[in-house]
Amino acid sequence: MKGDLVARLTVFARALRGRGVRVTLADVADGAGALVLVDLFDREEVRFALRTALKIRPADWDTFDLLFSDFLSLAAGVPSPQERRPSAPAGAAGPAVPIPLGQTGPAPAGAGHSPMGDQPGYSRDMLLRRKPFDQCTAADLAAMERLLARLSLRLATRPSRRLVPTRGRGFLDLRRSFRRAVATRGDFVAFARRAPAIEIPRLVVLCDTSGSMDGHSRFLLTFILSLKRVARRTEAFVFNTALTRITPWLAPGKPGLSLERLSVRVPDWSGGTRIGESLAEFVARHQHHVLDRRTVVVILSDGLDRGDPAVLVDAMRVIRARARRVIWLNPLLGDPRYQPLARGMQAALPFVDHLAPAHNLESLERLLALVAA
Amino acid sequence: MNDAVRALQEAMEQHDYIAEASIATALYLSREMRKPLLVEGDAGVGKTEIAKVLARLLDTELIRLQCYQGLDVNTAVYEWNYQRQILHLNIAEQSGKTGSDLEAEIFSREYLLERPLLRAITRPDGPPVLLVDEIDRADDGFEAFLLELLSDFQVTIPELGTIHATHRPYVVLTSNRSREIGDALRRRCLYLFIEHPSLDKEIRIIRKRVPGVSERLAGEIAAYVHGLRGRKLVKAPGVAETLDWAQALERLHTEQLSAETVEATLGCLIKDQEDLSAVLGSVER
Repeated sequence: MKGDLVARLTVFARALRGRGVRVTLADVADGAGALVLVDLFDREEVRFALRTALKIRPADWDTFDLLFSDFLSLAAGVPSPQERRPSAPAGAAGPAVPIPLGQTGPAPAGAGHSPMGDQPGYSRDMLLRRKPFDQCTAADLAAMERLLARLSLRLATRPSRRLVPTRGRGFLDLRRSFRRAVATRGDFVAFARRAPAIEIPRLVVLCDTSGSMDGHSRFLLTFILSLKRVARRTEAFVFNTALTRITPWLAPGKPGLSLERLSVRVPDWSGGTRIGESLAEFVARHQHHVLDRRTVVVILSDGLDRGDPAVLVDAMRVIRARARRVIWLNPLLGDPRYQPLARGMQAALPFVDHLAPAHNLESLERLLALVAA
Repeated sequence: MNDAVRALQEAMEQHDYIAEASIATALYLSREMRKPLLVEGDAGVGKTEIAKVLARLLDTELIRLQCYQGLDVNTAVYEWNYQRQILHLNIAEQSGKTGSDLEAEIFSREYLLERPLLRAITRPDGPPVLLVDEIDRADDGFEAFLLELLSDFQVTIPELGTIHATHRPYVVLTSNRSREIGDALRRRCLYLFIEHPSLDKEIRIIRKRVPGVSERLAGEIAAYVHGLRGRKLVKAPGVAETLDWAQALERLHTEQLSAETVEATLGCLIKDQEDLSAVLGSVER
């Protein structure tokens, strides 16, 4: 009986993994250990115990609960209508929308997610449109990366509280001083010191890939890749009608590969825009993990939003409050006649520290000056 | 429900912690499986309190390590007492002892300042509860170190050698999720996410912690706070805020909530200027 339970737990874990919830073998072992300890006839207790032992984050609770009923009916040995449904997720997603790998929780772009087919400009079925990406010229890329290396270093102006050994001034480091004194038979010739470290910043990039951004998105994704190369802890998201975390698919060394992966995996590429909802989703699902006072948030979008500005305002306020700095890069600003009058842009403006153009290398160059100021 | 879990839940209640079943289950599993418990949740839902109540339940010492950015081994694990060492060397200079004797003397446990983590694994009488508070504030480097300590329960001091744990402490880690905790550390723990308590739980919490508040007022307070949590606020009030507010109302000898009392005391509950003006606007209306 107990072996049975473990087998079922393994099936359950596999189903969770299929839905993008990270569950390891060690977690399954913990889960088995927990099941021994609790009252198996108390559904809630088993649910709490497994949630605790498998380390399920609140963002994944819905997925967990859904699959948990399957697990229970299996574990109790009572055949239920649900049992015939494959608990492996292959069929669960439907034919059109595969759940992207590495994404936690149910796919935000799930079928029937929201009534987004009613307004013009939205793609009705969120089909994965394959967009051919041309290769950037090698010279472009190289120039950009040099530039971005400088940008990233300038962003890193904030010293950390952590103390690291230094040759210059700083706090007395007794331990290292003693160690050095050994070489001079116990005489302190020079004291060792420690000073606050300068840390590479954390960047969160949110990139608009809707139709109106089409001409720029390839360029901007290269930008993200270069950022990722310099500041490895860069988190990247793209949004159009929904938000997708793309950090796991970025291979900084190989821009071609990354772009190819993205065009295949990001749903509704060059579809409509719902900036407000997308940022709200970012706030609801991701900001806790990726935003802190060291983080610089870079939003790449033209601000042409079709949604409710109030949603955007709410999201921007939270982001502004939690991040160190918010930079909005708008490709349209490259046109001297352009005024940031689009509704979405207007709504977001009060919460943006820097609004800057991003349509070519030169504009990024100017951004450098802006950030360094 | 498992009898042991229910017993734990009741015992926690006797120590003034009204626990949801999910909390009691997690704490029970952590205690039985002897695994650290990683507790996450919004500010003020009682994460730290879990460790405190566990220490009271087990009738043992609570050793607390408050994390912050820049926390290092010297403040978290151990530090040599350099002043005493130098003093000792100065005095010993006249005694004519050999170098190795002196070395053994000054690098002994006597000259070691124990910081919380070392104290937690070497406490002489029984395992303590080790609370690693707000682990998300520490650097990732420290997290990696903690991971090692939590898996081996030993600390290596170059001058002294490896110190093994005399027993495994009960470990509770809390995080406000200001940063994602590394997967490796998460895997090493059991995981509990605390939500805001249900309405009747919160009423019981108020009654238990602020006994001067009448049943009726406690109900009104809890209902009002629940209403606030339903709204879009930058910072929703936690149980800690509810209790602050209940205490304030008790001091003011409030019998029942009115628009005026709410307005006058809202500062206990809401600590954000924009939230405050938003809520005040709706109170007047």
